[in-house]
Amino acid sequence: MATIGTNEIMGMLGNATIGTPNVDYSRYSSESIDDLINAVAGGGGIFQNILGGLGEIGSAITPAIPAIAGTLLTGEAYDRLSDVGREAQREALALAERGQAESQFRPFTVTTATGGQLGTRVTPTGAVETTMGLSPQEQALQQQLFGGAGGFFGQAQMPTAAREQAIFERMRAAQRPEEQRQRLALEERLAAQGRLGTSSAAYGGATPEQLAIATAQEEARTRSMLGAMQQAQAEQMQQAGLGQQFLGASYLPQAQLLAATQPAQRMAELQQQAQLYGTGLFGETAMSGIESRLLAEQARANLLGGIGSNILAGLFTPQVNQRTGDVIDPGGFGDLGGLFGGITSGLGSIGRAIGIID
Amino acid sequence: MAQELKSINLVAPAFKGVNTEDSPLAQDPSFAEIADNAVIDKRGRIAARKGHTVVTTNKTVLGTDSLRSIKEFKDNAGNTKIFSVGNNKIISGTTTLVDETPGGYSITADNWKLVDFNDKIYFFQRGFQPLVYDNAGGSVITLSSVSGAAGVTSAMYGNEVLAAYGRLWTADVTGNKSTVYWSDLLIGHDWSGGTSGSIDISKVWPDGYDEIVALAAHNGLLIIFGKHSIVAYQGAEAPATMALADTVAGVGCVDRDTVQYTGTDVLFLSHTGLKSFGRTIQEKSLPISSLSGNITKDIIAALQNETEFFRSVYSPEEGFYLLTFTGQDVTYCFDVRGTLENGSYRVTRWPSTKFTAYTRLDNGTLYIGTVNGISTYTGYSDNGEGYRFKYYSPSLTFGDSARIKILKKLKPTLVGANNSVVFMKWAYDFDTTYATTEFTVGTQITGFYGESEYTTVEFTGGQLTNQRSLNTTGYGTSVQVGLESEIDGSPLSLQEINVMALIGKLL
Repeated sequence: MATIGTNEIMGMLGNATIGTPNVDYSRYSSESIDDLINAVAGGGGIFQNILGGLGEIGSAITPAIPAIAGTLLTGEAYDRLSDVGREAQREALALAERGQAESQFRPFTVTTATGGQLGTRVTPTGAVETTMGLSPQEQALQQQLFGGAGGFFGQAQMPTAAREQAIFERMRAAQRPEEQRQRLALEERLAAQGRLGTSSAAYGGATPEQLAIATAQEEARTRSMLGAMQQAQAEQMQQAGLGQQFLGASYLPQAQLLAATQPAQRMAELQQQAQLYGTGLFGETAMSGIESRLLAEQARANLLGGIGSNILAGLFTPQVNQRTGDVIDPGGFGDLGGLFGGITSGLGSIGRAIGIID
Repeated sequence: MAQELKSINLVAPAFKGVNTEDSPLAQDPSFAEIADNAVIDKRGRIAARKGHTVVTTNKTVLGTDSLRSIKEFKDNAGNTKIFSVGNNKIISGTTTLVDETPGGYSITADNWKLVDFNDKIYFFQRGFQPLVYDNAGGSVITLSSVSGAAGVTSAMYGNEVLAAYGRLWTADVTGNKSTVYWSDLLIGHDWSGGTSGSIDISKVWPDGYDEIVALAAHNGLLIIFGKHSIVAYQGAEAPATMALADTVAGVGCVDRDTVQYTGTDVLFLSHTGLKSFGRTIQEKSLPISSLSGNITKDIIAALQNETEFFRSVYSPEEGFYLLTFTGQDVTYCFDVRGTLENGSYRVTRWPSTKFTAYTRLDNGTLYIGTVNGISTYTGYSDNGEGYRFKYYSPSLTFGDSARIKILKKLKPTLVGANNSVVFMKWAYDFDTTYATTEFTVGTQITGFYGESEYTTVEFTGGQLTNQRSLNTTGYGTSVQVGLESEIDGSPLSLQEINVMALIGKLL
């Protein structure tokens, strides 16, 4: 009997890995998120130029740094939220592909104690193909039974007339001696009575006794004929039944093979269930991680946005000295001319950096 | 010294009929050596038979042939008709014979047998389709032309036919001498339906083989006569179940027309003589008690010499059974009123009668067929012609055959013989040359007192007797006396003959 070990199933589960083969999710951590942010926030090359431009802008707008920082942080938070959504979608798709691959049917083979085999495989087109094979002994027996069934069915399909005649002849052969004795006895009686040559139209050209015995014998013949017909039909039914039995028996090795696969199929189902469960569990877990990351990134974005907002709010909010009670001007818009000059210079640097300004 | 005449009285001579079997010397004088044209009359005397009177006045259809068979047809309505056959014709009528032969029906033989059955009369002859007549149809027709006829084929064209037990029975068919066919019940023209049938008795004959000659019905039996054996079936009322009752080997019937019913028995002629079925059944095949035992050799000789056919009739009124050998023109008359010690009937012989057919009508009239047509057995002349009555005694030794007898006188006593010439004859020692003396019987006036005025019937005194004493001559050890007379109009009975003789010396 085919068996699938638990270890095998657990192995199958153990081999399961999270993520697509091209994405190593293990390298993702909270620090990597920072790196991601840093990568976004300050890269080399063009970004340095841009940032240099921005530095210029910053220098220009030093006095407006808080306002600028607040604005940038808010923008950064916005951008991050957008990137995190896309990343989450990509990760989810990869996870789905992984789950689909992990949940594919896994072929298995069952071998019975008598040598029969049931094999399954997935064809290149994706179809599941099942093959059954019997042992040579079983095949020989099956062929023998098939042949017998064919013979019986063939006999059952034969016209019954010849068989009826044969049965009738056998029945008549059994009846004839007694009929002959009766005829002879009657003949002797008639001879003793001098009536051997009697012929009467009222009795079918014979004597009443002859007619009676002829009638009785004819009835016996008729009964034999009907009996022969019934017997032939019964035999026909018997042949058909035997054919059916042989045919059924010829499928017995196959049926037994199928029966033997029942537990294996159950095991396969369990395996499939475990596989599906593992895949589902993996998907759910992976999705939980992604969701956690999304939440964390969302929180970070929100944090950045909150910081920026606060900075901007502090820039435009007068402060009161608690001790003196003086209102301090936030100075946010004190040197707006220098600010915009610096910004323009910075933007020009940025524009040159990105090639839109010569 | 003159010797005393010895008287030997032959009382009622020949009242035992003819006996040609025993030695003449040892015979009882009551027998006769010859008794021609004689019968045993009601008083036990030998007497002249009756003659016949032809009633036919027109026999054109018969031509020069003789009637071969006569039968009276009667039906329940009382219709009667006389049918006869002859000259290859079916004939009806008595005074004027009428040809009743069906048109287109060719007849080449006249050996028909006619039977009445169920208001019809049937005609059967071997090899010919049976004919039938009934009063409604009014003419003789072939059996197959009867409405509803069935099975009328040559297989049942029998020579013998019997109406008995509600059916017609036939046998003796050309090519089939062992099968009896019977018709449906009461339907004489249905031979293949209903309860008709047949029985082949070829395996039943006690001698292994025989041929059916005649059929008879008697005492609930169907009697099938073969040529030399008899088979009797009982239960013939239901032929399909009738069973063999008895068989007799060695005794058969020579011809269907010799079978006659006497009421208590069936008479038939076997090849050893006249037989009675009842006695034959009792005695089985023993032929020792033949009814014709006194003339066995004569009968056998006649049988052997017969080249034509036999005719017979039984007349209870006359008390005789007539058996005619037509080819030899001789008829034996058996007196059936009683039998002799040896079981034989008293028998006389009627030679040269030319009788060729008989039938007895229901009223007792005996019809005789001759070349002249139909006659009635009546009167004492054969249609106006005389016939010779003969009586000859056996040889008489008067108890002592060693002594010479010298006849002196013969004293016959006759009754009747009106105006007849009577010849008395005698001879000695078996000589066939007879001495003769004759006398004429005078006119017999039967009126009382001899007066003619009393001769009318109401005053008649009956037949008169006539006794004569005639001288005789010669001598011998045995004497045979005879009497002959031409019968021509008057009856004659021989009451006795008293023979007066001298007994002479020892030889």
